Parts: sequence; C-alpha cells; structure tokens
Amino acid sequence: MKYILMMNTMRAGESVPNWPAKDLQAHIAFMLNLNKTLRESGELVSAEGLAFPDQARLVRAGKNGTPITDGVFPEGKEFLAGFWIVQVDTPERAYTIAARVSAAPGPGGVPLNMLIEVRQVMSGPPPEMS
Amino acid sequence: MKYILMMTGTKADFDWYAKWSKRDLQAQLAFMHSFTRELKDSGVLVATEGLGFPDQGKLVRAAADGTPITDGVFPESKEFLAGYWIVDVETPEHAYRLAARVSAGPGPKDRGNQPIEVRPVMSGPPPEML
Repeated sequence: MKYILMMNTMRAGESVPNWPAKDLQAHIAFMLNLNKTLRESGELVSAEGLAFPDQARLVRAGKNGTPITDGVFPEGKEFLAGFWIVQVDTPERAYTIAARVSAAPGPGGVPLNMLIEVRQVMSGPPPEMS
Repeated sequence: MKYILMMTGTKADFDWYAKWSKRDLQAQLAFMHSFTRELKDSGVLVATEGLGFPDQGKLVRAAADGTPITDGVFPESKEFLAGYWIVDVETPEHAYRLAARVSAGPGPKDRGNQPIEVRPVMSGPPPEML
C-alpha cells in the first residue's frame, strides 16, 4: 500500500526559517539521510519539497476557460512544505516513518516533533465511481 | 521548471463530492483520465496521485522516545489535499493554463469552477540551507 506523509508546516509569509546556519544544515542533512535510508529499504516512491508560500497561486478558470490567478490565501491556511510517498505493508509502518520525519532536528538540534498528516494514496478511483 | 497543481477541499467538500450522481462522477473521472493522458502524451507529466478520503487521514507526531502518536481529529476548516499533478513546463503561465483546465472540469450543474493551488516544486533545498 502507498501512503503519503505530508508536512503542512508552512504559513503565508513564511520563508527560510530564521535558524542558525548550523541548525538549518543539520535539518537538511537529516532529511537527505532519511530519504537515502527509505530509498535503500525500497520503501521510497517519491519525495518532493515545495517552494515557499509567496510563490503559491490560486488558479481558477474564467468563463472562457482562461486562468484567473490570485496570490491571496486565508490567514490560517496550512501550506504543504513537502511530502514523501512510501510503499509499505501496513499503516503502522507509515506512521513509524512519519514519526521519524516528525522528530527532525530544529534549532539547537532539538526534535521539532512536527505534525505529519498521513493518508493512503489510491491506485485508482474507488470501484463505486468507475 | 516543475510545478505542482493541487486540488484541495474541506471535509464538507468531500462529503458533498461523495453525493454526486454516478453520471457526474463518471464524467469527472473521464475528464481526469483524458487530462492526465494529454499531459503524458505532451511530455509534461512528472507524476499524479489521488489520495484517500479525509476520514482515512491521521496526524502523526513523534513522542519524546520517537514512537508515533496518531490522532484522527482535524479542525473543521482544514483543507485536505485530494490529489495533485506535477508538471514540467517552461513558464508558470503554462502551469496556470493547465490548472485552469482542471478548475473547469465537469461537475454537477450548480458547481462553480474550483480553485487549484499552483506552486513550484524545488529540485533541492534552498542554497541558504546547505
């Protein structure tokens, strides 16, 4: 089964965190190392990091189908910072990996214990829809 | 450049979607399939996924000892990712045009064009984090 692990940690106006360079580097090194471990165990399907919220646009089709773009989001909106898709046998394994991500080091190397949203990725539409 | 096109909705949006008539659901699925095929054929599709419904979502946080603490309660206003496309295109405008196509996808008669969030996908961490 495929699961997606989502870091919904960014808010509007946020950019690179204001941490000492050493702490930023340790955070990135942790993430790169986790990706490597998941790749080697054969569990990693994909991992992506998204640009900061200032580059996000909401796009809606106008009457004639042309895009209308807007850069204003509701204040409390959670922005997806990045995600992993893993192929695992049980949801518990996905939660264990999510807990690893959650404990990524922050300022001073202290685990961030971020909230990670975990949901199954579908291989196709539910049978009742097709 | 790579861009992600995200379809999101609140729990209420998903509940409403689950009540669409079979004909409306099938028309929407047919549209999604043909849109994805067109992206694939034109060589811009990097990846696309559809996620499970929000009731399958869990929030995971690492406890002090690193074990996962899972929780299935989300704020009512939370926007859940329903699915995404990652496309590799030359300009943001091209990504916005594709997003407008998704925005105007078919649905029940009273449905307006839905907003699609578009953001660049990074090929790696920002240079200041390395």
